Parts: sequence; C-alpha cells; structure tokens
Amino acid sequence: MTSERYAIGLARAFGGAILFGIPLLMTMEMWSLGFSMGRGRLLLLMSFTFAVLVGLSYFSGFEKTFSLKEDAMDAFAAFGVGVITSAVLLMVFAVISLDMTWGEIVGRVALQSVPASTGAMLGRKQLGAEQDMEAEAERKREAGYGGELFLMLAGALFLAFNMAPTEEMVLIAFQMTPWHGLALGALSIVLLHAFVYSIGFSGQESRPEGGSFLSTFVHFTLVGYAIALLMSLYVLWTFGRTDGVALAEIANMLVVLGFPASLGAATARLVV
Amino acid sequence: MNRDRRTGATRTTKTEQRVPWLEWLAAGLGLILVLGLFGMIGWQVFNGATTPPAITVEVEDMAPVEGGYRVLFRARNGAGEAAAQVEIEGKVSGPGTENETSRVVLDYIPGRSIRRGGLFFTRDPRAGVLTVRATGFAEP
Repeated sequence: MTSERYAIGLARAFGGAILFGIPLLMTMEMWSLGFSMGRGRLLLLMSFTFAVLVGLSYFSGFEKTFSLKEDAMDAFAAFGVGVITSAVLLMVFAVISLDMTWGEIVGRVALQSVPASTGAMLGRKQLGAEQDMEAEAERKREAGYGGELFLMLAGALFLAFNMAPTEEMVLIAFQMTPWHGLALGALSIVLLHAFVYSIGFSGQESRPEGGSFLSTFVHFTLVGYAIALLMSLYVLWTFGRTDGVALAEIANMLVVLGFPASLGAATARLVV
Repeated sequence: MNRDRRTGATRTTKTEQRVPWLEWLAAGLGLILVLGLFGMIGWQVFNGATTPPAITVEVEDMAPVEGGYRVLFRARNGAGEAAAQVEIEGKVSGPGTENETSRVVLDYIPGRSIRRGGLFFTRDPRAGVLTVRATGFAEP
C-alpha cells in the first residue's frame, strides 16, 4: 500500500463523512445538544464511538488492516476526517463562528463528529470502486456470532443516533397508545427477522444448525432486537431524553426509536 | 488474537514496514484531534460546566427606527450550564407617563456565551429610564 492509494482511501473517507454526516449536520437539535448535553455523557459517547470505529475498521475500513494497531490508526484517521468535515461544514452553515466560546464550538463539532467519523469509516466500502470483497467476507465468517452481533450493534447505534436528536421521537412516543406501541414493536421484530433471514445470514456457516426458523429467530432476531433497544436506551440517555421521565414513557420511546435501530441492526451487513 | 494466528508473524511485520507516510500523518492528526477534543470536553467537566445559568443583559445600542425605537442588547450567560427559552424583558419608565414593556425569547444561551437580540418600543427609551433583564429560562 502506497501513500497514493491511501490518499484515495482518505478522499473516499471524506466523501463518506459528508454523505453520512449531512442529515445530522443539518439537524437543528444537534446544534443545541452540542453545548447543552452533559459533558460526561459526551465524553462517554465519543469513547464508545471510537471503540465501534476500531471494530468497524476490522470489518471494513478504508484500507485492509492486519493488526489492532492498524485498526486503531484507521479509527484515529476516521475520527480526524469526521472532526475536520464537521468543523468545515458547520462553519459554512454558520452554525459555528469564531466569536463563539470555544466550549460551544468544541461541543458542537465533537457531537457531529460521531456520525461523520462513522461515515468516514464506511466511506471506502460505499464509494470505493475496487475492494477486497473476499477478505472482507472471510473476516465476517471467521468473526462468527460475536462479529454478527457487533455489526448489528454498530448498525443499531448509527440509525438510533440519527433519529434520537429530533423532537419527533419523543412526540411520537407521547402520541402513541399502548396498542400502537405493541404494534410497532411487533413490526420491528417481523421486519428485523425478514431482513436477517433474506439478506444477512442465509448460507453462512455461522447460521446455527442449518438455520431452522426458530433458531434463527432466537439467535439473531430476538438478540438483534434486544441490541436495538439497548442502543436506543443508550442514545436516549446520552441526549438526556430519559432524565426524570417515567419508566412507562421511556418504554414507549424505546419502542419508537427501536424501530429505526432494529432496521439499522438488520441492514448493517449490507452497509458494512 | 484469532487474526494474528491466521495472518502470521512474518506477514504482520512485512505490512508494518509498508505503512505509508500519509497513513501516519492521517492517524497522527486524528490522534491529536481526539486527544484535543477529549481534553477540552474533560476540562469543562471539572470547571463548572454544571453550574445553573446566570444571565445578565447589557444594552448595546438605542436608535430610532421606522415606527418607534430599537434597543439592541446582549445577554450573557455567566455560568456553565446552557439556558433555553430565555425571556428578555425591557421596560421604559419615566415620570408622568405609563410604562412600556417589550419582550423577546432567546432560544438558547450556551454556558459562558453571549447571544444578541433586540427590542422595539414606541417611546424613546433615551427619554426615560430603560431596564432590560432576563426574567426566566428553561433547562434545555
């Protein structure tokens, strides 16, 4: 691998950062969350994102990696791309300007760098013309069940993160009756299963015992939905949406956000 | 790790030698940005980022405009926590006349930050006594 090749990968990373980051870069709530959310939670979110980036680098970075050190280097590079992309675009949108306090600027850029750096990591896969599909497939195979769950987690986190900042998640939860909630939960599970069954895991060695309906359902669909709900809870907590809210109301929000999150979990394999 | 066994030691060392300079640069820059961001956010954690908002309002400019008078102000949040829906109230009072009150709501004032706004009056605020203050806020 030469610097030239790496530069192409880096350019694709910027493309991915813009493409995946733009929905949230143009979301109003994200701007205020950048300075109003708890600093401790922001730090935790960024550390968590970084860990996910290292994992994603293993499965599909903007270059082929051979060691944990290289995955970490890839993650740092993706993070840098995410931060630079966010800072430049936010400045062009006049969301940040130099007469703001640095605390506000840093908060806004840091929060936006989460989706942007994930996009940077996925950029190569999405925008790259040539790539080592075989090596990638092999990695997914050898990673086994744990790897599948990690991809689900990354997908659920990314989609939940994309929806959670908006006011609509809470509003939808408020509007729903318990019946709506149950219906949405059931729909999430059915769709998750359909995706898992048709695109994700059929024909893989990791599919347990020849993949009867029940074992696929228990091993992937239910676990996937649980991961989606957990990621939803984590993201809602990160944005302070659960503070002082009654448990029943949180459950409603989880089902609402769990819908996109489970779709993210189901389709992560397509994107990564 | 699983992977190390498969790739083998010789292959690992070979690829390490081939790490291009641009990769070092990109990863190094990323590392600096990560540490910088973490450092700055972490610093805020321990330096009063959680003190509730305290908002002071200063009048910056008063000028006659079409249909009345305009007062420009800047509201400063001196504490660490952000304030939402900050209501700013301006009152013109003078001897022998009725008071005139104008209000505006600022969506957000982040911690230790300044937001600017304006109020309109029908009476000349320079002729009477003008007071501008924040009347309340909500937690974001």
